[in-house]
Amino acid sequence: MQNQEGAVPDGEKESAISIPISEFDDWTNFADDDMMQQQSAIHAEEANKIHFVGDKEPLSMLAAEYESGSPILLEKIKVLDQQYAAIRRTRGDGNCFFRSFMFSYLEHILESQDRAEVDRIKGNVEECRKTLQSLGYADFTFEDFFALFLEQLDSVLQGNEDSISQDELIIKSRDQSISDYVVMFFRFVTSGEIRKRSDFFEPFILGLTNATVEQFCKSSVEPMGEESDHVHITALSDALGVPIRVVYLDRSSCDSAGVSVNHHDFVPTLGDHSNATSGSTEPARPFITLLYRPGHYDILYPK
Amino acid sequence: MAEDKYNLKNPAVKRILQEVKEMQSNPSDDFMSLPLEENIFEWQFAIRGPRDSEFEGGIYHGRIQLPAEYPFQPPSFMLLTPNGRFETQTKICLSISNHHPEHWQPSWSVRTALVALIAFMPTPPNGALGSLDYKKEERHALAIRSRKAPPKFGSPERQKLIDEIHEYMLSKAPPVPQLSSSQATKEQAGNSDGEAEVNQQDSVTVAAGDGMPNQAEGDRVLEEEPVAPAIAMADPLPAEIRLVARGFPPPVLTNQQVQRPQTRVQKSSDDRLLTWAAIGLTIAILVLVFKKFMKSSGHGAVFMDGS
Repeated sequence: MQNQEGAVPDGEKESAISIPISEFDDWTNFADDDMMQQQSAIHAEEANKIHFVGDKEPLSMLAAEYESGSPILLEKIKVLDQQYAAIRRTRGDGNCFFRSFMFSYLEHILESQDRAEVDRIKGNVEECRKTLQSLGYADFTFEDFFALFLEQLDSVLQGNEDSISQDELIIKSRDQSISDYVVMFFRFVTSGEIRKRSDFFEPFILGLTNATVEQFCKSSVEPMGEESDHVHITALSDALGVPIRVVYLDRSSCDSAGVSVNHHDFVPTLGDHSNATSGSTEPARPFITLLYRPGHYDILYPK
Repeated sequence: MAEDKYNLKNPAVKRILQEVKEMQSNPSDDFMSLPLEENIFEWQFAIRGPRDSEFEGGIYHGRIQLPAEYPFQPPSFMLLTPNGRFETQTKICLSISNHHPEHWQPSWSVRTALVALIAFMPTPPNGALGSLDYKKEERHALAIRSRKAPPKFGSPERQKLIDEIHEYMLSKAPPVPQLSSSQATKEQAGNSDGEAEVNQQDSVTVAAGDGMPNQAEGDRVLEEEPVAPAIAMADPLPAEIRLVARGFPPPVLTNQQVQRPQTRVQKSSDDRLLTWAAIGLTIAILVLVFKKFMKSSGHGAVFMDGS
């Protein structure tokens, strides 16, 4: 164990007040840190390639990506092209579903200025808070994440002092200290919903991972960077009462009758909220559309 | 706490201040931890040696470093009091601390981590780096010594905090009990010294320690509940925090049987990836073969136009 720490005088006296970070250097003398440094280097590399949330690109950019690729995919992209105008990519860091949902939802509110929807979702957020409390989470562990999401929600509504524009929304979504907090908020909400309705989710989780609900939440929902599956999407959609459409772009179903692109609408089940007008009537088309390619979610914009 | 010194807009600062408040309003007899006055990212702590172990009655000091990305990144822990279980001034390897950053989650806290650390003390080190495997008598002697004086470390400011924490812990921690015969050193493989006595396995700690080497490689995941009744405290999470010696399979958060779903989760996603890769390759090969066939039989142009 190489340990130079003992000889290092405590440096914080001089430096701590203004820059607490400087003392961190103390801790880098350990071989074990190589691993972590390497890990963060990988993250940094990824970060340079693509923002948390990218720019809106015409759908033709997607086709260009597959130019020399599978003809099935190209066919499917042609089909997509008839219905969708643009794509917005998100970083493939395991948080892409939550990040896509975040941006797509906030952007929708920004554009629609749908105050009724904001009031509705705030009710659901309160419900989620109670869920976590009843599950035994200490308030301080999730409070900040909730507060930050509500702050974003208020800021996209115009007419407040701190209302933000579309450009500012993009900047905020790329700011780690905001973006990651909102992602984490969704992870808390998702985990809470899965635990609360563990009887419902258990069979899906068993089919997926052979883990218990508890283990699943601990290992695949709450930690940052863990990828999302239909279980996560169902839980988040139900908890917040927000329908989500996922369009699947994969190489499946290549019958000669012509390609079609599958999609699935996650429509929130009637929870203890009586908000759902969707009962037996035709549910509204989800305003959030995500493009799923195996292992990754991006945002799609309908024509 | 000099809150005005810090940027309260900084989410890490906000969170840490909340934890300080929470720590102060729910004090524990088992541990005490506070940040330095001049830097809330640097904490001092002391834990009490877990009951029914050779550490009982010991007061073990250490420091905690919270990263700027806290709570997304885990805190680092380092002990300062010689204890016979962890090297001093060496980062401690717990799944909850930053040697396993991938397993840390923001719903955990300094409190959670300290509870986990206490639970980790009586577990066998299994050769993890930074771990020590002293005999019980030696650990017992260190426990007695740990009460006499707090360690000398760092700036006067820090020393003052260490001394205060020591006073507090002394007032809470009952003295070190005699090492009962059942707690005395059991002969352990690779550590036999001729000095060991034969004992009944009536101590939970000893039982846990002995059980480990016999288990299958993949199952060398430490289950901490048997050694830590105190862990089921106010915080709902600690009971599930699984501590794992470095180099062993990732921890599993469960209070049930030893399982490895974590590895399974990874496996299944790996499998899925491989499946996709395989499907992709197969399709690519088929397309190539088909193209070649079409070309060789002179229909290439027709085919290309047709698509």
